[in-house]
Amino acid sequence: MKPIVPKKHEPIRIGFYICHCGTNIAGMVDVEAVAKYIGTLPNVAVSRHYKYMCSDPGQELIQQDIRETHLNRIVVAACSPQLHEHTFRMATAAGGLNPYHFQMVNVREHDSWVHTDRVEATRKAMALARAAVMRVPHHKPLEVKKVAINPNVLIVGGGIGGIHAALTLANAGKMVYLVEKEPTIGGHMAKFDKTFPTLDCAMCVLSPKMAAVGSHPNIHLWTYSEVAKVDGYVGNFKVSVRRKERYILEDLCTGCQECVNACVFKEPKFQDEFNLGLGKRKPIYLPFPQAIPPVTLIDPEVCLNFKRGRNPDGSHTVSDKCKKTCVEACGDRKAIDFKQQEEIKEITVGTIIMATGFQIFDAKRTPYYGYGIYPNVYNALEIERLINASGPTEGELVMRNGQSPKKVAIVHCVGSRDENTNRWCSRVCCLYSLKLAHLIKEHTEAEVYNFYIDMRTPGKSMEEFYNRVAEEGMHLIRGRVADVYPDPNDGTTGRLVVQAEDTLTNKILKIPVDMVVLSVGLEPHPEAENLRRMFNLSCSSEGWFLERHPKLAPVNTFTDGIFLAGCCQGPKDIPDTVAQAGAAAAEALALIDKGHIEQEPNTAYILAEECSGCKSCIPLCPYTAIAFDETKKKAIINEALCKGCGTCVASCPSGSIVQNLFEDAEIFSEIDGVLAD
Amino acid sequence: MANTIQPPLPDGKWKPRIVAFFCNWCTYTAADLAGVSRMKHAANVRIIRLMCSGRVDPQFIIAALTKGADAVLIGGCHPNDCHYSEGNYKCLRRNQMLKRMLADMGIEPERVRLEWISAAEGEKVKRVINELVETISRLGPLGIPQKFEEWDREMSELTRQMSKQQEAVDGGETPVAVKTEVIHV
Amino acid sequence: MIAPFEPAVVDKATTLETLLETPAGKRMMTCIQCGTCAGTCPYGEHMDFSPRLVINMLRGGFIDEVIKSDSLLRCVSCYACMAKCPRGIRLTDVLLPMVKEQVLVTQSAMPAEFQKSLENMHRYGNPMGESPRKRAAWTATAGTKIPLIAEVNREVDVLWFVDSYMSFYARGQDNGRATARLFNALGVDFAILGNEEKSAGECGQVTWESGLFESLAEYNVKLFNKYKFQRLVTGDAHAYNAFHFRYPMYGLTQPAEHTAQFFARHLDQLKPRLTRPLNLTVTYHDACCLGRAVGSYDEPRALLQAIPGVKLVEMVHNRVNSLCCGGGGGGMWLDTYYKQKGMERLSERRVKEAIATGADVLAVSCPYEISRFEDALKVIPHDKPIVVRDVAELLADSLAS
Ligand SMILES: Cc1cc2nc3c(=O)[nH]c(=O)nc-3n(C[C@H](O)[C@H](O)[C@H](O)COP(=O)(O)OP(=O)(O)OC[C@H]3O[C@@H](n4cnc5c(N)ncnc54)[C@H](O)[C@@H]3O)c2cc1C
Ligand code: SF4
Ligand code: SF4
Ligand code: FES
Repeated sequence: MKPIVPKKHEPIRIGFYICHCGTNIAGMVDVEAVAKYIGTLPNVAVSRHYKYMCSDPGQELIQQDIRETHLNRIVVAACSPQLHEHTFRMATAAGGLNPYHFQMVNVREHDSWVHTDRVEATRKAMALARAAVMRVPHHKPLEVKKVAINPNVLIVGGGIGGIHAALTLANAGKMVYLVEKEPTIGGHMAKFDKTFPTLDCAMCVLSPKMAAVGSHPNIHLWTYSEVAKVDGYVGNFKVSVRRKERYILEDLCTGCQECVNACVFKEPKFQDEFNLGLGKRKPIYLPFPQAIPPVTLIDPEVCLNFKRGRNPDGSHTVSDKCKKTCVEACGDRKAIDFKQQEEIKEITVGTIIMATGFQIFDAKRTPYYGYGIYPNVYNALEIERLINASGPTEGELVMRNGQSPKKVAIVHCVGSRDENTNRWCSRVCCLYSLKLAHLIKEHTEAEVYNFYIDMRTPGKSMEEFYNRVAEEGMHLIRGRVADVYPDPNDGTTGRLVVQAEDTLTNKILKIPVDMVVLSVGLEPHPEAENLRRMFNLSCSSEGWFLERHPKLAPVNTFTDGIFLAGCCQGPKDIPDTVAQAGAAAAEALALIDKGHIEQEPNTAYILAEECSGCKSCIPLCPYTAIAFDETKKKAIINEALCKGCGTCVASCPSGSIVQNLFEDAEIFSEIDGVLAD
Repeated sequence: MANTIQPPLPDGKWKPRIVAFFCNWCTYTAADLAGVSRMKHAANVRIIRLMCSGRVDPQFIIAALTKGADAVLIGGCHPNDCHYSEGNYKCLRRNQMLKRMLADMGIEPERVRLEWISAAEGEKVKRVINELVETISRLGPLGIPQKFEEWDREMSELTRQMSKQQEAVDGGETPVAVKTEVIHV
Repeated sequence: MIAPFEPAVVDKATTLETLLETPAGKRMMTCIQCGTCAGTCPYGEHMDFSPRLVINMLRGGFIDEVIKSDSLLRCVSCYACMAKCPRGIRLTDVLLPMVKEQVLVTQSAMPAEFQKSLENMHRYGNPMGESPRKRAAWTATAGTKIPLIAEVNREVDVLWFVDSYMSFYARGQDNGRATARLFNALGVDFAILGNEEKSAGECGQVTWESGLFESLAEYNVKLFNKYKFQRLVTGDAHAYNAFHFRYPMYGLTQPAEHTAQFFARHLDQLKPRLTRPLNLTVTYHDACCLGRAVGSYDEPRALLQAIPGVKLVEMVHNRVNSLCCGGGGGGMWLDTYYKQKGMERLSERRVKEAIATGADVLAVSCPYEISRFEDALKVIPHDKPIVVRDVAELLADSLAS
C-alpha cells in the first residue's frame, strides 16, 4: 500500500489509544478518564481505550480508524516502547501511514506499575499522553535505514556454550571466529567426571564436539587468545584479537607430545592449572589429553630456555641455556619456536556471541570453612578432578595425605544466598552436590553428609535424580554449616569437625569427618567488567551480563548484534547453557540471513542555510561523522556514519542541526505537554 | 497551546512537578526495570526519552523550568558506559556550565540533578526520584511562570504609570511604549 | 569479609510488638531458617530456642513461649550468629536483647550474682558495688599525673573513658597504668572523668535491662556535654561497643575509639618508641565487641607485630570465627548459673585453644577477658606457662623505660 503522506496544510488528525493491559494498566490508571480527556485536546480525532492494544484486534482497531476516519497521526499509551514501539509502528504502516507518524507513551513500566495512588497515576498518564499528542504533529515521514550485514560471527569463550553456538553457526555455513582465553576449549565441563542428572560421562559427550570445532572448515579456532578491541556496530564490528605466544606453531604441531616426553625435566614438577594445582606438569605440556587444539605450549616462567621473569612489556627473553631436547624430539616438524611473539589479528564480523562463562566462588571468602587452611577442605571443582579418571589421581579419590576418606561432609551454598558474599542462588550446586555425593560413595564407600539449606532441584528429571541419590543412603541434613575446625580429639590425621544445626530436629551436630567438600557457587568471570566495557554491554548489579529483557529477549543484549550464551548471563546448568547457545546462534542467523539491518532513522543532518561554519560540532561526534566543506564553509554529516546520539544537535550554537525523531520542536512540545496541567 | 488545556485533576495542593530526560540505553531502561520489578516511587516525575544524555540541550532544561517544572532530572549511563562513547561526558560538561547560569538566575542548584544510572539500577531510579521529590518538596515551588506573570503585571503597571507621567509632562502626546523584553526559549 | 554493622537500624522506642515493622524487622522476615546462627552459637546446644527458632516463633506469633523459657539467658552477646547470618539479620544487638528483656520480666528469680551486679550498677554506677568516690583512686598509683577533665578546664583532645573494670580491678588497673604510659609516650592531650564517670552500661543494653542502660547512657552523655573534647577513647571493648552503636542515639556526637584502634592509628609515632624486645610468642583473642561487631581484627595484631621480639600465632578460631570468652551479655555474672546448668565455661574452651598454640602470652583487648582467662587457666591443665596480658600492657612493656 502506498503510504499516505499528509498534504501540506492538511489538518492534523490524531488517533489516541490507551491500553488496559488487562488490569496491569487499568488497575492503577483510570484509562477511561484518560481517553476522555485526551479526546478534548486539539487535533485529536479519535480517542479510545482498549483491553489489549498489542493484540491483533487492537492493532486492527488502529488500522480501521486510519482508513475510516482519515487519521494521520497515531499515539498509543501502553507499555514501554522497548517492548511494543515496533509493533505499533508496523500497525501504523499497515494502516497506510508512515510508521514514524506514531508516538508511544509508557504508562505501564513508568506509571501503573510503580505508583500506588490512582489519582496521581491517572494524572501522570494524562500528562504523558498529552505530551505525545502535542509532539506527534511535528513528526515527519521517515524511511528505515538499511545497512548490509557481514555474515561472519565472533564467539568469545569456548566452554560448552561457545562450542555449541560455534558448531550451530558453522554447520549453517557461516564463518565463525571462536576466541578462547585458555590454551584449550572445553571450559568447566571439560573438568567434570559425570554430569547430573543423567550421570553420563562429561568428556564422552563433550570431546566429539570439541574435536568437531577443531576440524570444522568454517571455524577459525583461536585459543590462548583474547579480544583486545571492538569498534563499530551491528553488521560491521571491527575486532582486534590478541593471540598470545605459546611458543609452538599451531599449524606444524601434530599433538604427538614427543616433546613433552623429551623435556629435560624428567618428572612433571610444576602446578598444573587444568587440575587446579592438584597435579603436576612440565614446562612444555598439553593441558589435558583431549585438549583442542591438540597443540602443546611452553610456560616461559619455568622453561629453562627463558630468563626468569617478564620484561616490562610482558614478554619473555630467551636465554638459550637449555639443551632443548624438546626441539630435537620435534625434529623435522619444527613446531617449536622460542622466538614466537604475540600477534594481533584484525577481523570484521557482523554479530557477536558472548559465552565467557563463570568462575567458582573463592571459598577463602568464608574463612570459617577453613578452605586454604586445612588441607582436607576442598572445593567441588577439585573433587570433580579427583574423581575424574583422567585427573591427577586417575580417578582415585584420595586426600592430600594419600588416604581415602571414610567420612565426607558436603557443604551446600558456599558463597551463595549469603549477604556477606554473593546473594544469589547458584542454581546448580544442590544438584552437583548430590552428584558428588553419589560419586564419592561409588568411589570410596565413604559415609556422606550433605548439609543443605533448601534442596533446590528444578528442571526436567532433577527431582527424580534427587530421589535416586537419596535412596542410596546419604545423610541429608537440613542446616547450613556454621563452623569447620580440626577435631580436638584427634592428633595428626587432619580429621575435621563440621558443626551445624539440624534444623529439623533442633539438634546441634558436631560431626567428625575426614574430608570437607565446599559446594562453591558460581560468580561472574573476573574479566566480565572489562568485557562489558569493551563490548558496550550492561551488567546486572551482581556482575552478570544483562539480557535485553528477562523474559522476552533473554539472549539479546542492549547492544544490537551481540548475544549471550551460557553462564556469562547467570548461573545455569549444561542443558540450559546449550539451549541458550542455540538460541543465540539462531538470533545471529536471523540477522545474517536477512542480509541487512534496519536502523532507526534517528540520524542528524545540518541545515546548510543556517550553519555558521563555526566547526564546534566536529570534535563532538564520537564517530567522526561530521566533515567540513571548505568551499561552502559548512559542516556536513555523513548519514552512514551517524549513530543518532544527538550530542552535536544539543550543542550547535546556531541551532542548525536537526535530529530525526528527536527534533527540537518535538522535544519542546513534549516538555510543554508534560507541564501543561 | 498550554493555556487552552484545563488542569485535569486540580486538587488544590502543590506537588512538585519534575521533568526528566533519560537516555534510551541506560536510565530509561532502568526506569523500565524499576517498573518490571514494581519498585514503587513518587509519581511526580515525567520522563522524556532521548537517545543519549548528550542530546540534552540546556535549552530543554530552561524550557522545562520556565514552563512550570520545579526541577529537572537528567539520567545517563555511567562514565565510560555511554552507548555512544562519551555523550554523557558532554552532558556533564554542559550541565556544569548550566549550573553556574542557574545560580546567577537565583535557581537553587538542587533543582537540576544529573545522575548516572545503568540499565541494571532500577533501584537507583526509585531512590533518586524519591530523594529528588523530597528535596523539592522541601524547597517549595519554583514558580517561574507565575513569576513571569508577576513581572508582566509589574511591567504593564510601570508602563501605565510612566505613560501617565509622560502624559503629564507632554500634555497629551502619545507615549512611547516601553519595550518589555520577552525571554524566548 | 563480613561487612561492618551499620549503627542503629531500629530506634530506641522499638519493642517486640513493633519490631517486624522496622527495617531490622523486615530483614527478619527474610530469615531462611538455615540454622547458621544456632550452629555457631557457643551455647547453641544448650538452648531450647535457638536464635533461628526465636525468629520463627516471632514470625509465627508464638514469641510468648520463647519468653517463658530461659533459653536466651545463655546468649553471651558474642555476635557470632549475626556475623555469619547469610541474611544479615540483627540478632545479637536487636532481636535477642528484646526477647531477653522480656524473659527477665517473667522469670520469677534471677541468678543471684547477676541480680546483684545489675543492682550495683544502678546504685553505684559500677557492677562491683564499689564506692563511686573511689573510682579515680587508682590514678594515685599510675606513676604519672592523670589529669581530670573537670580540673583542666579547657578542651582536650582525648577524653579517656576508663570504665569500671579498669578503675576497680587490680589487673584492670595494670591496663590503666599501661594506657596512661602510652598516652604520655605519644604526647596525647588527654583527661579522664574521674569519680563522675559511671559504667557505660553496655551489658545493660545488650542483655537485659534497657531501662538501666538508658539511665546510665543519659547520665554519661550529659556528663560528656558538660566538657569539651575531640574524641572519646576507651580500653573497655564493651564501653566502646555502647559508644559506637548506641550512644549516638542518646546524643553522643564525638567519635569513639577503642585504645587498640587509637594506638594503631598512631603506630608510626609509637613504633620508634617500642624499643625493648619482649621475645614472646603471643596469640591474640579477638574481643567480640571489637572484632565481629566492628571488624577491627587487624589493628590489635598490627600493634602486637610492632613490638620487637613478638611472634604472633593464631588460635584455631580467630577473627570472625573467634570463640567468645563468655563474658558478654551478662555472662560475666552468670558463671555460677551456667555451672548449675552443666554448661562448660566458655573461657575454659577458649584457653584450651590458646594453650594448644604453645604461646607464652594470651593477648586480649577487653578488661573482662583478663580475669576470665586467668581464672580459666587455673583449672585447665597446661605444661608450658601462659599468661594473659592486654595489648596495651605489652606495648607499655616494650617502651624504653
Ligand atoms: C563443580 C561444578 C559442577 C557442575 N556440574 C554440572 C553437572 O553435572 N551438570 C550440569 O548440567 N552442569 C554442571 N555444572 C554447571 C556447568 O559448569 C555450567 O552450566 C557450564 O559450564 C556453563 O558453560 P559455559 O560455556 O557458559 O561456561 P564455562 O564452562 O565457564 O566456559 C566459558 C569459557 O570462556 C572462556 N573465557 C572466559 N573469559 C574469556 C575471555 N575474556 N576471552 C576468551 N575466553 C574467555 C573460559 O576460559 C571458558 O573456557 C557444574 C558447575 C560446577 C561449578
Ligand atoms: S543465620 Fe540468619 S538466616 Fe539463618 S536461621 Fe539464623 S537468623 Fe535465619
Ligand atoms: S550472640 Fe553469641 S551467644 Fe548470643 S545467640 Fe548469638 S551466637 Fe549465641
Ligand atoms: S545455592 Fe542453591 S543450588 Fe546452590
